[in-house]
Amino acid sequence: MDPATDTLSDHELMLAVRDGELDALGELFERHHGPLYGFLVKFTGSRTAAEDIAQTVFQRMLKYRHTYRDDGSFTAWMYHLARRCAADHFRKSNAAPAATDPAELRHHADDAPHAGDRAATRDDHALLHTALKRLDRDDREVLLLSRFQELSFNEIAAVLECSVGAAKVRAHRALRELRDTYFQLQKENLS
Amino acid sequence: MNCSTAQERFADLLDGRLAGAGTAEVRAHLASCPGCQREYSALAQTLTALDALPAAKPGPALRKNFYAMLEEEKNSAASISAAVIRRRHAARVSLWRWILAPVAAGALAVGAFLAGTRFAPPAPAPGLDPATRQELAALRKQVDSVNQLVNFSLLQQRSTSERLQSVLASVDAKNPNPKVITDLIGLLALDPSTNVRLSALDALYPHADQQVVRTSVLATLPRDPSPLVQVAMIDFLVAARDREAAPELERMARSETVDRAVRDAAKRGLAQL
Repeated sequence: MDPATDTLSDHELMLAVRDGELDALGELFERHHGPLYGFLVKFTGSRTAAEDIAQTVFQRMLKYRHTYRDDGSFTAWMYHLARRCAADHFRKSNAAPAATDPAELRHHADDAPHAGDRAATRDDHALLHTALKRLDRDDREVLLLSRFQELSFNEIAAVLECSVGAAKVRAHRALRELRDTYFQLQKENLS
Repeated sequence: MNCSTAQERFADLLDGRLAGAGTAEVRAHLASCPGCQREYSALAQTLTALDALPAAKPGPALRKNFYAMLEEEKNSAASISAAVIRRRHAARVSLWRWILAPVAAGALAVGAFLAGTRFAPPAPAPGLDPATRQELAALRKQVDSVNQLVNFSLLQQRSTSERLQSVLASVDAKNPNPKVITDLIGLLALDPSTNVRLSALDALYPHADQQVVRTSVLATLPRDPSPLVQVAMIDFLVAARDREAAPELERMARSETVDRAVRDAAKRGLAQL
């Protein structure tokens, strides 16, 4: 990591990228690609799609760097781009037949008889992933943004282009939906 | 506090960032209401499970592809800068030939004359009546338009590759020059080559914050004969977050006479605006 860029804020780095110092985007990539990828895996339910979308997000940062604003929040801008890239992905994947992603297979419940507690935990995670997938896409998005991405509700509202109050209400409604589905799946799993 | 009001505030209590004034009342209600305790406990349990989901880690391909892309972009930017430097150098070396060339001399003379009329307009003689002043102003406007057309037609006398070079040479975001921007807008609107128009549009990206640039792209959009350029223009307007483009995009999205790819791009653009 370059000590010169290490101390700069995300916003300062992105302003530098906008002004032609493209290497500054490397530092932003190192800081954010992990959480962005994690968000996209949970949002799309697919590691392959998450990698593709994360790649496209950074491509678009480069392409549209001139549109980054002086008063912008980098993280909110990044998730704003991610949202659009994900929408493009869903539009394309609805038009094309879905391929099986081998990377996803390990998330399915482990049926091995000796799997024990670890299998139970994995089952629980698989149930939660299933519950997340069953959520309406908008609900899943707001819930994941509010829970994992260290964004303020002001930033979430900017990403979703709605009021702060609406973002909070949507996040809580999404949590209730998730709880209902998750508990229902747990019951089905036990019976 | 009743159950309904308390449950509306659960979000504040569950989200550590929102906990603060007012949550004490909710806590007091929770302590005395088994129904709300169950509701709160179920939500908290779901959140705990959600937080416990392991964070997926990306494979090495993401980093590798990112740095390859970054390198490619840097090389592309470097090649543009190199083209600009080469062109400036070539322009200095062959300057005397341009000065001696009769066509260039004629163009300079016309340019100088028109620029003189444009930048140093004669002060209106005192005592002119309003109608004469109006006529003079209209005449001056016509001269300005002729000036722009002469500039553009001089540009058009060069080959496609020379025109492309002139676009590349104009890519200098740190020194936006109004004359350069006018030339780029002229090329975007009138150049017969699709490549030149696309390059002009790319060169206008650094100036997308200027109203005149966005308005010009919007005005040119419905008239461009190439769907490829039209889609690129829609992407430009969407990237610039130009909400004034929405009515035109709506018209294009509905029109049966517009190319399908352009219609789709307009629909996508509207969704993003």
